[in-house]
Amino acid sequence: MSKLTVAMAKGRTATMAIDLLAGAGIEFSSYSEASRKLVFMDDTGTVKLVVVKSVDVPTYVENGAADIGVIGKDVLLEEQKDVYEMLDLGISKCKLAVAGFPNHKFMDSSRLTVASKYPKVTKAHFDAKGIRTDIITLNGSIELAPLIGMSDVIVDIVESGKTLKENGLVILEDIADSSARIIVNKASFAIKTKQIQAFIAKVKKRVEVRS
Amino acid sequence: MNMYSTQNAKVERVIDVVSKRFSTYGYTRIKTAAFEKYDLYSTVTSSVNRKEMVKVIDTTGDVLVLRPDVTIPITQELSHVCNHLTSEYRFYYIQEVFRQSFEKSEKTERTQAGIEYFCESSPEADAETIALAIQMMKDLNFKEMKIEIGHTAFFNEIVNGLHLQEEQLERLKTLVVSKNIGELNLFIQQLLIDPKRKLAIEQLPFLYGKPEEVLERAKEIVPLPNVIKTVCYIEEIYRILKLYGLDEYVVIDFGLMNHMDYYSGVLFQGYVERLGKPVLMGGRYDELGKKFEAELPAIGFACEIESLVKALQNSAVDNANQIDLKIIYEESELGSAIQLAAKLRALDLRVVIASKTKESMNSIDERCIIRMYEQEHIVEFQGNEQPFTSIEQLDWLGGNDK
Repeated sequence: MSKLTVAMAKGRTATMAIDLLAGAGIEFSSYSEASRKLVFMDDTGTVKLVVVKSVDVPTYVENGAADIGVIGKDVLLEEQKDVYEMLDLGISKCKLAVAGFPNHKFMDSSRLTVASKYPKVTKAHFDAKGIRTDIITLNGSIELAPLIGMSDVIVDIVESGKTLKENGLVILEDIADSSARIIVNKASFAIKTKQIQAFIAKVKKRVEVRS
Repeated sequence: MNMYSTQNAKVERVIDVVSKRFSTYGYTRIKTAAFEKYDLYSTVTSSVNRKEMVKVIDTTGDVLVLRPDVTIPITQELSHVCNHLTSEYRFYYIQEVFRQSFEKSEKTERTQAGIEYFCESSPEADAETIALAIQMMKDLNFKEMKIEIGHTAFFNEIVNGLHLQEEQLERLKTLVVSKNIGELNLFIQQLLIDPKRKLAIEQLPFLYGKPEEVLERAKEIVPLPNVIKTVCYIEEIYRILKLYGLDEYVVIDFGLMNHMDYYSGVLFQGYVERLGKPVLMGGRYDELGKKFEAELPAIGFACEIESLVKALQNSAVDNANQIDLKIIYEESELGSAIQLAAKLRALDLRVVIASKTKESMNSIDERCIIRMYEQEHIVEFQGNEQPFTSIEQLDWLGGNDK
C-alpha cells in the first residue's frame, strides 16, 4: 500500500489538526511544534506529514506533491485551486471581514482603498457590491494600514476581534466564515480512492464526536 | 545539451507510441491551420476562455487567433463537406495549441494529441473510444491509472425543472465538482425544492467509485426515468469495457463536469500517479456540429504530450535517443568506415562515424563501438572485444538486438 502525504500549515492549525487526527487514530508522536523538522511519519508509517507555509498548502495539493491538505477556508477562497474540498474540521474558526474606523461609510468615497492579504476575495466582494476599489496587498499587520492613512478599510480574518479593538477598529461587514478544511488532490482520489476515503471517514467520525 | 536532447527524445517517443496506437484503431492523421478566425471561437460560446487566446491582427485588420483548440476547426471543416453523417470518420492529430494561462509558470504553447471519432452515439462507440484512451496509457507503461467516467445528463436531469437561477446553478456545480459535501448541504437546505431532489443532489458527490456499486446506488437515489436511462447507458459501456479486458481501470464519477461547454453525453478523464491534474480529457460532443448547421455527432479525447512526459519522468522510459553503433576510424581507414556505415544504415541501424582524434567530441550513448584502426579492426559489444578482418563478419549486427 502506498503512503498518503498530508500537507499542513505551520503553527496553531497544525497543532490543533494533529490533535484531532490523534483522536481519529492517526498519531504523530514524533511531532512537536518546536521542532525544525519539516517531514514527520505517523506511528504506523503509512501517513507522511509535511509542514509548509499556509498559503502554499493548496499549491502542494493541486500539484499532487501532497494527497491531502489541511487548510483554512480563507486561503481556499483566495487561491481557488482545482481540488476536492471534502471535510470541514470545525477548528481554527474565524471570519473574513471588512474592518475600519467606527461609522465608516464606504459609499461616501468614490473609490475605496482597501489593504488586505486577500486581494482576490477583496476585489470579488466589492465588485459584487459595485464599489470601485484600489487594493493594497500586504502580508501582515494589516490593521496598521488605516491607522497610518494608507487605506480606508481592511479585509482580514478576525478571530476574537482583540487586535482590531486594541487598534481602535471595528468590523464593518462580514464576508465569509472560515474554518480548517480537508482538501484532496483529484488524481490521488482516483488512484488511492480507498485509502483516502478511509482517512476522511476516520477524521469525519472524530469531528462529529467532538461537536 | 544532454538534458535537452533526452527531454526531446522522451517527447518524440511519447508521440511515437501515441500515434501508433491511434493508427491501430483505424485513425488517420490530420492537421489544421495554425491561425484561425477569432469569430470561429466566439461562435462557440465559452468553449475556450477568450482571455486565454493568443490574438494576432493580419494586414487587413482581421483578428486571428493562434489555434487554441483542435476539435472546433475539425468539426467546422467537416461541416463544409457534409451536413449530416453518411459515414463514420476517425481522425487523430498531434499539434501545438496556444493558450495564455493566468498562471505565468504555465507554458503558452503545448503539444496536444487527440482523436475525433464522428459517429452516432452508442455504447459500443463510446466504449471503444474509452478503451483506446486506456490502451494508449497502457502503452506508455503507466503502472497506476484510472479513467473516471461521468455523464452530463446526470446532473442536468436532476436540476431540470427546479427553476434555479444561473448563479445558483453555477454555485451548485462548483460544490458538486469539488465534492464539498458540507457546504453543498448548507446550500441546498435554503433552496425551496422537493426533498427527494435535495436528497439526490446531496448524494451526488458520493456517486464515485467502483462501477458495479455506484451504478446500482445511482438508480436507487435518483429514480427519474431519464436518469435511469443514462445509468443503463453507462452500464452498457462498462459491460463492453469488460470485453476489452480494461474494466479494472474504470471509476464512475457522477460529480464529473467539464468546463468545456460543448460536451453533451459521456465524459471521461484520465489520471495517473504523481501528476495532480488529469492527463487526458474527453467526451461526446453531439451538439457542436449544430453551431455550423450540420448534424455531426462525435466523441473524442485529447491529452497533452508535455503532461504525459512529466508523468513519465520518474518511470523508466528506455532511452530512445540511443544510437546503435559508433564507428571510430583512423585517417587511413576512412573509406572502409564510410562503406561499413552505409551498409549498416541500409539495415536501418543508427550509425555515427567519427575520426579517432574526435572521439571525445562524440560522447554518445551507443550499444556497440567499432574501431577501425590501421593496425586492427575491433568490435566492442556488451563488454566483449572481438577483432574482425572483413565487413562481412559483422552481418550479425543487423539481425541482432534490434
